[in-house]
Formats: sequence, C-alpha cells, structure tokens
Amino acid sequence: MDSIDISDAHRQRPAGSFRALIDDRPDDGVFRLHRDVYTDPALFDLEMRHIFERSWSFLGFTSQVSQPHDFFTTHIGRVPVLVSCGEDGSVGAFLNICRHKGAELCAVRQGKSKSHVCPYHGWIYDSSGRNIHIKDQDQGAYHPSFDQVDHGLVPLAAIGSYKGLIFGSLNADVPPLEDFLGDMRFFIDLAMEQGENGMEPIPGRTQYTYRGNWKFQLDNGLDSYHLTSTHLSFMRALDRRRVGEGNPHGNQTDFFKDSHCDTASFGFDHGHTVFTMDNTEPHRRPFWPYIDKLRDRVGDAKADWMSIKMFNSLVFPNMQLAHNTALILRVFRPIAVDLTEMTSYCLGAIGEPPGERGMRLRAFEDFYNAAGLATPDDSVVYERCQQGMATGAIGWLQGFSRGLGALETGQNDVTRPMGINPVESSMGTLQSGQEVVYHPPYREWARLMEAGEAAAPAYP
Amino acid sequence: MTGTASARDVIEQEAICLDERRWQDWLALFTEDCVYWVPAWKDDDTLTADPQTELSHIYYIDRAALEDRIIRVSSNLSPASTPLARTAHILGGIRQTGAPGPGRVTFRSSWSTHVFWPQSNLSHTFFGRYEHELVEDGESWLIARKVITLQNDYLPSMTDFYCL
Repeated sequence: MDSIDISDAHRQRPAGSFRALIDDRPDDGVFRLHRDVYTDPALFDLEMRHIFERSWSFLGFTSQVSQPHDFFTTHIGRVPVLVSCGEDGSVGAFLNICRHKGAELCAVRQGKSKSHVCPYHGWIYDSSGRNIHIKDQDQGAYHPSFDQVDHGLVPLAAIGSYKGLIFGSLNADVPPLEDFLGDMRFFIDLAMEQGENGMEPIPGRTQYTYRGNWKFQLDNGLDSYHLTSTHLSFMRALDRRRVGEGNPHGNQTDFFKDSHCDTASFGFDHGHTVFTMDNTEPHRRPFWPYIDKLRDRVGDAKADWMSIKMFNSLVFPNMQLAHNTALILRVFRPIAVDLTEMTSYCLGAIGEPPGERGMRLRAFEDFYNAAGLATPDDSVVYERCQQGMATGAIGWLQGFSRGLGALETGQNDVTRPMGINPVESSMGTLQSGQEVVYHPPYREWARLMEAGEAAAPAYP
Repeated sequence: MTGTASARDVIEQEAICLDERRWQDWLALFTEDCVYWVPAWKDDDTLTADPQTELSHIYYIDRAALEDRIIRVSSNLSPASTPLARTAHILGGIRQTGAPGPGRVTFRSSWSTHVFWPQSNLSHTFFGRYEHELVEDGESWLIARKVITLQNDYLPSMTDFYCL
C-alpha cells in the first residue's frame, strides 16, 4: 500500500531536470506524472518563460484580419498581443504595449481602426504598428538620441498562418510553422477545409475561467475515459432524446450510441496529439447532403475523416481543435498556476447558409458552452483535481496508463491512407479510454523546460 | 389579480420557482413552443441578434429543451450540479413594454441572481435584463418568449438556467 507523499519532488530533483516529475519508462510500461506539474507556482513561471514565450502560439483567424485596419487582441502566455492588418493588406503581430510607459495599448477585443491611441499620454500607432504621433514632441526637449530609437510597436519575433489559423512566437528561434505543426496538419485540414471558402469563428463570445491549472484542459480535451462518468447526466439527456423526449433541436451527436466503436490516438513531434473515434451519425454534419462534392474537393481520405470520424486534438501547448459534435477551437490561457481562461470558438464555413450554420450552433451550444450540458461538469472536475492535488498529500498520479499495452510506433494500416506518420499510435474501442494520448505533450513539456533551464535553443 | 398585473406576477413567480427549486412549477409557466434565448455578446457593446448565424449561450424553441436541464440538475450525476448551488433572484424595474396582439403582452425587467456554490464555498452574482412575452391562458398567463441579456458574460467556470 502506498503511503502519504507530502514530499516536494521538484525541490529534490537535480537542478535543471524535469524528468523527476515525469516518470517515463517505456520499456517498463510506466508513465506517471507528479502532481507538482499542476500545482507548483515556481514551475508555472518557468512554463511561461520556457514554453509559452519560446514556442508557437495560436493567435486567431485570418478571417478576423482580412481587410486593411482589421485588428484583434490576444495573448501569448502572459504577454498581450495585437494582431492588425495594415493599410497594405499585410498582417502584423505586435506586443500590445505602448512604448512610452508600458500601458496595454488596445483594450478592445476586435474591430477596425486605422490607428491605436494609448490612453495614457496619447502616443499613436498606425495599423502596421508604426508610431505616427508622439504628443507634443516638438516641445518635449528630447535629446537627439531619442530620434535614434524606434518608437513603433515591438513586432513578434515570428508570425505565420496555416489554413486560416494565425500563429505567433516571441522567439525567433522556432521552426517554420508547417514544420512545427508537422502531420497535425492533416487534422487541421479536416477542420479548416470543410468550407470551400475557408472557415471562420462564428460571432459571439464564449469565455470563462476555471480555478485550476491550464493542463487540466490540455488533458481533458483529449480524454475519452471521462465521458461515461463525468457526463452521465448528459448521457441521461441523450437517452431521452433517443426516444423523442427532451430537446428536439440539439442536433447532438449521440456519443454513446456505440461504445465499442473504434478509437485511435496518435502522437506527433512537438507535443501535438490526436484522439479519434468513429462518428455513427454523419447525417448531423451540415455538409452531409453534399458529401460527394466535398469528396471531389478534398479527396476521399479527408472527406471520410470529416464525416464518419470524429477527433479531438492538441496543438501544443494550448490550442485544441475538436471535430466531434460540432467543430470547436479552444484556447486555454494560463493566468496563474490555479487559474485558466478558456476561449471557445464555434467554427463555421464562410458563406454557409443559416440552416447549416444553425446545425453547428445548436450542437455546440448544447455541449460546449459554459452554459451547456457538458462543459460545466468538466470545469468543476478540473477544480476538484486542483483541490485534491494542492493539498500536496498525493505525489504520483496514475492517470496516464491506459493504452500503454497497445502502443505501436511509426505507421500502421490506419495511418498509412491518411499519409501521416505518428511517433506512436494506440488503437482500441471507445471504452479503452486511452491515456497514452497525453504522453507526447508531457514529453515535449519536459524537453522545453529542460532546454529553457539550460539556456539551450528550444528547437535545436 | 387581473390583466397585466397577473402577467407581471408570472414573471415574479418564475424567479421564485427557480430559487425554491420547484422545477415542474417553473416549467409549467412556459408555453410548449416557448422561445428561451440567452444571446452571446458579439463585441463589447453588441449582442448577437440571429441565433441561426451567431452564437447564443442558450437558444431553445421548445419547452422540452428546458426539461433536459431539469433532468440534468436533478440527476445527481452532474458534478457541476451536485451539490446544487443556492440562488436568490432579485427583480427590479419590471415595466410593460407593449401589447403585440390580443392576449399578448411584453415586459422588461432587470435581474440579478446571487449564486452560492456549496462545493467551493464561493458566491457570484450574474446580472442583466429580461424581456418576457406572455400570452393569456385562461385566468393566468404563460411565458411564450424569454430573452435573457447576461451583462457579465465572462463566466466563472459555468452558468446554468437557475443562475440566470
């Protein structure tokens, strides 16, 4: 029997080593995480520096900045970011911080403006980030050296976009975005190629916080094991809908129709990971009536995956794209070791008719909203995890083991037609509730933390 | 009570039913084809206006959808609802805004709901405006349409029908 473990493993680990927090022994079939990974404030600060400030982060959508002077604001980790389309149509991303006294420049979430005026001393920046006005500059008795300094907004070190998704980095030393995403691109394509004119976030914000570590969302967004316990009340609602009771307009995928359906998990380089399962109700997809047209446009493999399969995925570190009941893109922003901000986007095809968009919306609201029938149960469970772990009485966690007995490396019969080459895969039924899907992100977590502590390049 | 005084009474009854967890009484205040709509905010100053093309927090056009919610919170199977939060709805500024047809009236009101979650010992106040459309039903009135504007839409973990 295990004894109470109130040790502080991170304080006992050798300097610069994070492996002491992740017991990863593939040959012994062991993968364990120490709860410090979720609860230690010192580790949280290191995560901001070594992970969020050194890798790619999802910023927003190209559809949000498609016209000159369109802009939106967001964050990379703790750092406020302004993404803006300049007069010339080129999209730039900048620290959303005035150069004068460091005030957060733009407080508006999104909009259209030729310029951004700092509310403090009135310095003005144009939509390309250039400083175009320093109030009373002539009378400021500036030393000539002042003119030698660039007063424009600080651009991010890297910006890139893939299929309508914009990413940025505070670190110039990141791989090209397409290399960073690697074979995760197959799954991004499944989402972003659904509309022949591309995809966009449907207007309307759904934003909420939970009092737990950001990695609880990382885990749970890939967790198939919790469906039949955390969401039992939702299952009860689906049971009723199956016989014509309850909400007739929810367009909800019946996740529990076939608990023996095939599932698979795929892990990729750079911490990205995917969990897939069969979709027994493709008719709930808005594009189902013209699946043949879609087949012509995107090819058989992708059209099948868009319609008769579902997936949940992670683009490390904090963006998740899931195509199950609806198409959702979620960003979980760490605010403190025990506080996380969630932003969810319901994605729709640009130009799709209201009836089709309505199908997406009803399914999304029913399940994913913070006022929905499922997500609140997830958020509360994260808080229970934080409460349980913060006591410090539990050391090693046992929630990373399912599927370890079914791991395969490299390509297999499932991945070959998809043209993807995962580092590792695991297959099973929905009830297998695979937890090996968490291994790639935590291996990447440890790699980036150690590289950061060693002042080594994040991506050698 | 007669006329619009009893219509106003239904609005108050609705809030009382929620606080007292008299779910079936609450449901019975709605028409079968009622609209129950909590629009999302599109930007800092604008609500979403079209539930077919824009996101809502909740959008129902059928009373049976409200039943799903009641079954969930009564099931003892929902971690977010077990133990269930305690609430107090406060209504103010209840004003009739129109009479769109015979036996049909519209009201506006301001609301706040104080919510206490026993599992975290935390409290929060949600607040906003209601628009009610009521239809005459014999001696009383039924809610045919309720639109809830949630002014503080940056949500602490969750919200649910009894918080609104």
